[in-house]
Amino acid sequence: MARALLSADWYRVAPLKPRLRGHVEVHRQLFRGDIWFILQDLHSGKYHRITPAANYILALMNGRRTMHEIWEAACLRFDDDPPTQSETIRLMSQLHSSDLIASDLPPDMEEIGRRHSKQERQSMIARIKNPMALRLPLLDPDRFLGATVSLVRWLFTPFGFVLWLGLIGAGLVLLGLNWDVLTNGFTDQVLAAENLVLIALAYPIVKALHELGHGYATKVWGGEVHEIGLMFLVFIPVPYVDASASAAFDNKWRRAVVGGAGIMVELALASAALIFWLNAEPGLLRAFAFNVMLIGGISTLLFNGNPLLRFDGYFVFSDLIEIPNLGQRSNKYVFYLIRRYLFGVKDADSPVTAKGERLWLFTYSIAAFIYRLFISFAIALFVASKFFFIGILLACWALFNTFVQPTLKGIRYLFSSPELRQRRGRALGLVGLVLVGVFSFLFTMPAPYTTVAHGVVWLDQDATLRAGTDGFVAQVAPDVDIGQPVVALADPILENRVEILESRLREAQLRLRSVLLTDQVQAQLLRDRVALLEDQLEGLQKRRADLAVTARTPGQVIVPDAGDLDGRLVRQGEVVGYVIGSDDMRLRVAIPQAQAEIVRSRTAGVEVMFQDAIGVPVPARLIAEVPQSQNTIPSRALSTEAGGDIVLNPAGITDLSTLQSVFQFEVATVEPMQISHVGARALVKFDHGFEPIGYRIYRGARQLFLRQFRV
Amino acid sequence: MSDVGYPNRRIRLPRIVNYAEAPERTETELDRAWAWVQGAFVSQGARWRALKLRPILWAIWRYKRRYAKMTDVELKAAVRPLRIKLRRKRRGNHLPVWAAGEAFALIREVSVRTLGKRHYNVQVLGAWAMMKGQIAEMRTGEGKTLCATLAVAAIALSGRQVHVMTVNDYLAERDAEETAPIYDFLGLTRAVVLEGQDGPTRQAAYLQEIVYATNKEIAFDYLRDRAILRRAPGNLQRKVDKLVPGGGPTEELRLQGLPFAIIDEADSVLIDEARTPLIISGAGALEGSIPEYVYHAAMDAAKSMTSGVHYKIPRGIKRVEILDAGFDYLEDLTEDCEDSFGIPVIRDHSVLQALNALHIFNLGDAYIVKDDKVQIVDENTGRTMPDRTWSDGLHQMVELKEGLEMSQTNETLSRMTYQRFFRRYTQIGGMTGTAQDAAWELWSVYRLAVVKIPTNKRYIRKTDTDRVFRTADAKWKAITKRVKALNKKGQPVLIGTRSITASQEASKRLTAAGLEHQVLSADQDADEAAIVAQAGQPGQIMVATNMAGRGTDIKLGEGVAKMGGLAVILSERHDSRRVDRQLEGRCGRQGEPGRFEAWLSLEDDLMTGPDAARLRRVAYGVSFLGSRATGRFIRARQRRTEAAHAQMRRDLMRQDRALGDTMAFSGQLE
Repeated sequence: MARALLSADWYRVAPLKPRLRGHVEVHRQLFRGDIWFILQDLHSGKYHRITPAANYILALMNGRRTMHEIWEAACLRFDDDPPTQSETIRLMSQLHSSDLIASDLPPDMEEIGRRHSKQERQSMIARIKNPMALRLPLLDPDRFLGATVSLVRWLFTPFGFVLWLGLIGAGLVLLGLNWDVLTNGFTDQVLAAENLVLIALAYPIVKALHELGHGYATKVWGGEVHEIGLMFLVFIPVPYVDASASAAFDNKWRRAVVGGAGIMVELALASAALIFWLNAEPGLLRAFAFNVMLIGGISTLLFNGNPLLRFDGYFVFSDLIEIPNLGQRSNKYVFYLIRRYLFGVKDADSPVTAKGERLWLFTYSIAAFIYRLFISFAIALFVASKFFFIGILLACWALFNTFVQPTLKGIRYLFSSPELRQRRGRALGLVGLVLVGVFSFLFTMPAPYTTVAHGVVWLDQDATLRAGTDGFVAQVAPDVDIGQPVVALADPILENRVEILESRLREAQLRLRSVLLTDQVQAQLLRDRVALLEDQLEGLQKRRADLAVTARTPGQVIVPDAGDLDGRLVRQGEVVGYVIGSDDMRLRVAIPQAQAEIVRSRTAGVEVMFQDAIGVPVPARLIAEVPQSQNTIPSRALSTEAGGDIVLNPAGITDLSTLQSVFQFEVATVEPMQISHVGARALVKFDHGFEPIGYRIYRGARQLFLRQFRV
Repeated sequence: MSDVGYPNRRIRLPRIVNYAEAPERTETELDRAWAWVQGAFVSQGARWRALKLRPILWAIWRYKRRYAKMTDVELKAAVRPLRIKLRRKRRGNHLPVWAAGEAFALIREVSVRTLGKRHYNVQVLGAWAMMKGQIAEMRTGEGKTLCATLAVAAIALSGRQVHVMTVNDYLAERDAEETAPIYDFLGLTRAVVLEGQDGPTRQAAYLQEIVYATNKEIAFDYLRDRAILRRAPGNLQRKVDKLVPGGGPTEELRLQGLPFAIIDEADSVLIDEARTPLIISGAGALEGSIPEYVYHAAMDAAKSMTSGVHYKIPRGIKRVEILDAGFDYLEDLTEDCEDSFGIPVIRDHSVLQALNALHIFNLGDAYIVKDDKVQIVDENTGRTMPDRTWSDGLHQMVELKEGLEMSQTNETLSRMTYQRFFRRYTQIGGMTGTAQDAAWELWSVYRLAVVKIPTNKRYIRKTDTDRVFRTADAKWKAITKRVKALNKKGQPVLIGTRSITASQEASKRLTAAGLEHQVLSADQDADEAAIVAQAGQPGQIMVATNMAGRGTDIKLGEGVAKMGGLAVILSERHDSRRVDRQLEGRCGRQGEPGRFEAWLSLEDDLMTGPDAARLRRVAYGVSFLGSRATGRFIRARQRRTEAAHAQMRRDLMRQDRALGDTMAFSGQLE
C-alpha cells in the first residue's frame, strides 16, 4: 500500500504548538534488538510504547514550535523513512486521548468532559464484561514499602538469588524423597473440613507475602507502587498490587523479576514449609505448614505461573521473550493473518514489529484461546455444581465472551467493513466455505468411533485347580491330558500312615485267620477291627489320590507359577492352576455409566490388546453384560491405583468400591486366549462403526451437563 | 376579536444567541442504527404526515376574512403586532398551528395584493411542512417559489433569520426578485448572496432577515467563519470564548449563524451534492511539499509499468492498485537513487498518483484542458469547475500528463462535509419534486421526514414505456425519427441528455436530419432560463442536459395543450432515478398535458464500464424479448449505482466521524 506523505487534514494540525505535559517520563528500552521508547504517564500509571521517530517528534514539542516545523525536522532526521503526516496525526491523537500533550489553545471543556465520561463508561464496561475478576483498590502502599525496602534489598541481589535457588533446590530434593508420604491420602487431607479452615488462614498470608514480593521488587529498582487492593477471582478474594511501574525498567530481567517475584516468594515459602513439615512433630503448626506448601506450590504453578492466563507468568513470559502486550497483539496478529491472506486485504496493518514475533504471536493466540475456553468453562461448571443459577449465568457469560461476541464482531466486520468492499463476495464465500467445511466435517464426515476401556482376564470357579489336600509339591507337569496329574503333591506322613495301616490290617487279617475256627467271639472282634482298618486305609488312599491334582474338565491347563512350586507346601483348597476350556477365558471390562449405553447398543466389533503385547490387536466379541450398574469393580487391576481408569472410593464398603457406578461387560477373544494371560490386564476397544464427530461432541456435552447438574 | 394591539403582558425576551448553530450531535453507533431502522418506517409515512398538516388550512380559514377586509395601510399595521405575537407563541423551533395560520393568512393576503397570486391550499400545506422541519414533496410546477414565501416570511416574522437555498445563482436572484414585493410589504429585509461578492457585501447581506443564496455560497461562508472560530460549534463554547481573553473570533464573521434553512431542490442539495466534502484550499500555504523532479520521475516510472503485472485496476473503484511486483520494480528502479524519489513513502505514492492520472482520469471525461489549464468536469452536472483542483498531487500529475505547466500544490485550509454543515442548522425545511426516493436517507442522516403534498390539479402527463435499443446509434436514429414525427405535428420536444457530449451528439443527429433545434449547455443563467421557458412553444426542439434551466417554468404555447403538451424525451438514464424524475417534471405541469418518453440503449453511460459488464451481457442476451425486459436491466443498473453512491456518502460520513475523533486534539471540527 502506498502511503501518502502528505495528508489533506494536515492543516488542522500544522499550526498547533503542543507541548509534552509535565507528568510524562520517557524511558528507552530494547525489544528484540530494536530501540523503543516507553512513555510513562505518572498520573494514570499507564505506559505507551513509541518508535524512535515518534519519540523525536515528541521531544521537539515544547509549546513554541508548530507541528509543521516539528514534522519537517523529523522528516530531515529520519530521511530514509520519514514519518507521514497521517502517522503524525495518529500519534498526536493517541497522545491527546491519553492526556499526554497540552496544546496552546484553551482547553475544550465539552471535549474533555466527553472524553472523561467515555473513559468511565469503558472501565465500567470492562468490569461488567469480566465479572469473574473484579478489582477493588484499597490503599497506597508506597510509603510503607519505601520505609521498609532497605530490609529486603539484600534479597534482590545475585547473592539473594543464589540463596533462593538453594532453598528451592533443597525443597525439590526433599519433595522427590518424600513424594510418597506427601501424596498418600492427599485428597483426604486437603478436603477435610478442619483443613479448610487452615487453608483459609494460610491463604491470605501467603498471598500477602506474594504481593509484597512484587511491591518490593518494584521498589528496589526505583519504581513506585501506588495501589494495592483486592481482586475477586471467581468470588474468591485475591490481593493484587499495581507493579506496573516496572514497565519503565530498561533491563528486561528486572522486569521479569518484578513479575515473577510473587511466584518466587511463594515457591520459597513452599520449600521452607516442606522442610518444616518434614521435621516438626504432628500438630497444628505442622498442618499449617502443609497448607502453606500446598498454596505456595500448587496454586502458583497452576494459576500464577501459567503464561496462558493473564497473571504473573504472563508478564514474566512476555518480558522474557521481549514481546510487550503479547496477548492483545497475538489476537490482532491472527486476525491480521485472516484479513491479509484469507480475505486478501492488501493494506492490512500487521501488528508485528520485530523479527521472530510471528511464531510467538500465532502460537500464543491459539494456545491462550483454547486454554481460556477450557478454564472459563471449568470454572463455570464448578460454580454451577454449587450454585446452579449463578453458574449457568456465568457459563452463559463465558460463552458470550468467548464465542458469541467475537462471532458478532466477525459478522459485523464481514458485512459492513469498508476494507472488504471489493472483496466481500470472496470473504463471505470463503467464510461460508470454511463453515460448511467445518460443519460437514463435524456432522457428515463419518469418523471411526470407538470406546476404549480396561479389562482383566477372568475365570469361572470350576475352572480353577485346587489342591484336594495338604501336601508338598513333588512334581509339576502342566502339559498333561485330562485325568493326568498336573501337580503331584507329596505327603510323606500320609505314606507312612498308609504303610502302618496296611501292616496293621495284615496283622489283624492274620490274627483273624488264626482264631477263625477256634474262638468265634475273638474272631468277631477281629473282623470288626479289619473292617475299621480297611475303612481308614481307604480314606487315606483317597487322600493319597488327591495328592495328584488333575484336570477334571477338557481344556488347557495352566499353572501360573509353575517354576516356584517345587517343594512348597500347598494347603487344602489352595489354587494351583486353571483349566481353560475353549470359551472359558473371558475379559471382564468395567465401563463407566456414560459410555455403557453406546457399548451396549452399538458395538459392531471388539478388539483386545493385552498388556504384554500393546500394539497387537486381537479380535474379540462381546459375550454378556451384567445387567445393572454396580459400585464395585471385579478386580483391582481396573482401578486407577493399578493403572486402570476407574477411580476407587477410599470410603467405600469394600476395597473395590468405585466412586461412579460402572457396568461390567464380558468379552472373549475369537481365538482362544493364551494361558499366560489369565489375570492379565488388557485394553478393550469397542468399535461402534463410524459416526461424525459432531454428534459425539453433542452427546458428550449433554452427558456433561446431565452429570454436573443432575437435571 | 381584538387581540391585535400592543400587548401589555410581560414580553418574554428571546434567548441571546451569539451564533445560531446546532451543537455537534453526539450519536452512538446504536443511535445511528436506530435511526436507520426508524427511517424505514418514517419513509413510508409521507402521505399520512400530509394529512396531519390539514389543521393549518382550518387555521388559515379562520383568519382569512379578517385580513381580506383590511386596507393596505391596515394590513401593514397588522404586521407588527403579529410579529410580537409570533415571537411570544414560538417555543424554540415550534410555532403553534393557530399562530402559523394567522401569519399564513396575512402573508397570503399580501401576496394577492402585491403579486396577484393567491397560494393554493397545497402550497399552504407545503409551507407548513417546511416550517415544521420536514421535506415537502411537491410535483414540479406546483409553484414552489411562491409556496416558500409563506414559510420564509412566517419564520422571519417569528424572529428567526431564514436562509433560502437554491441550486444556482440565477435561481437565487430570480426567486428573490420575484418574491421581493411580499417581503417589502411585510417590512422584512432581504438580500441575495452571489458568487463573486466581496466580504463586506456578504457580511451586510447576512445581517438581513431573509438571505437568498446557493447552498455552496452559504456553506463556504460558514466554513470560512468556522476557520476563524476554530472551535467546537455551539453557543456554550461561544460564551466561554468570550470570557477567555483573546478567546473570541479574531476576524469579523460573515454569518449570523445557521438559524433556519429553507432548501429548494432539497434532495439534490442534501443528497447528490453531499458526496464530496467542501474544501477551502490555498496555494502553498505551508512549505514541505514534494519537489517537482519527483513528479517527473514518478511519471516516467509509471509509464514504464505494465498493467496486470505491476498494477491493476480493480473493478468498481476508480483507483489503480499497485501489485507487489510493482513495488519490487520501483524498488529496483530507485536502488541508486539518492534524492527524495528514493524514499519509499514518497516514491510509491507519487507513482500511484501518476498511474491514476494516466489510466483513470481521462481527458474529456474527468477533465478538459482550457487555456492551458486542467479543468475538472463535475460528474453530476457535466459542468467544468474552473476553480477546483484535485488534491494529493493528482492535479499536478494530470498537468504533467497533458504537458502543461505544473501548478502549485494546493493545501487544504478548511474542510467539511455537507452532512455536517446541514446538521448544524437549527432547523431545516425543504421542498423538492423528488424526495420520496431519498426519504430513508434524509431521515437517517438529517432526521428530516418527507411529506407528500397532493397536487392542486389532477395530473394528466402520459408516460410511455421505455424503448431500449442495443446500440447508441440505433437509439439516436430512433430518437431523431421520433422528434421528426412530433415536430411535424408541431408538438414541442425537449430532449434531456446526461452530459454536454451527449447534447452535442444529439445536436449533430438533429442537424443531419434537418431539424431546427436549440442546444443548452448547463450555464445556468438568465439567458438559459429564458430559452428554456420557450421550450413549450409550438414546433420547438430543444436539447438540454438535465440540469439546464432547472426551476424554470415552461409555459405551453398556444394550441400546444391540444397537441398533447410538451414531449420530453429522456435520451439516457442518469445515475439516480430522482434526476430522471426531475426531467420528467418538465412537462405536464399544473395539470397541463404532457408526454414523457425514455429512449435508452445498452451502450448508455450507465451500462458501460467494467462494473456493468456482466449485466450488459445478460441484457444483450435477453434483448430479443423486447424493451420491457432490457429496460429492467437498465433500471437494475441504475439502482445499483444509486446504492453505490449512497454507500459513498455513508463512507464519507464515517470517515468524517473517524476524523473528528482523531482530530479531537486540534480542538476544531473543520
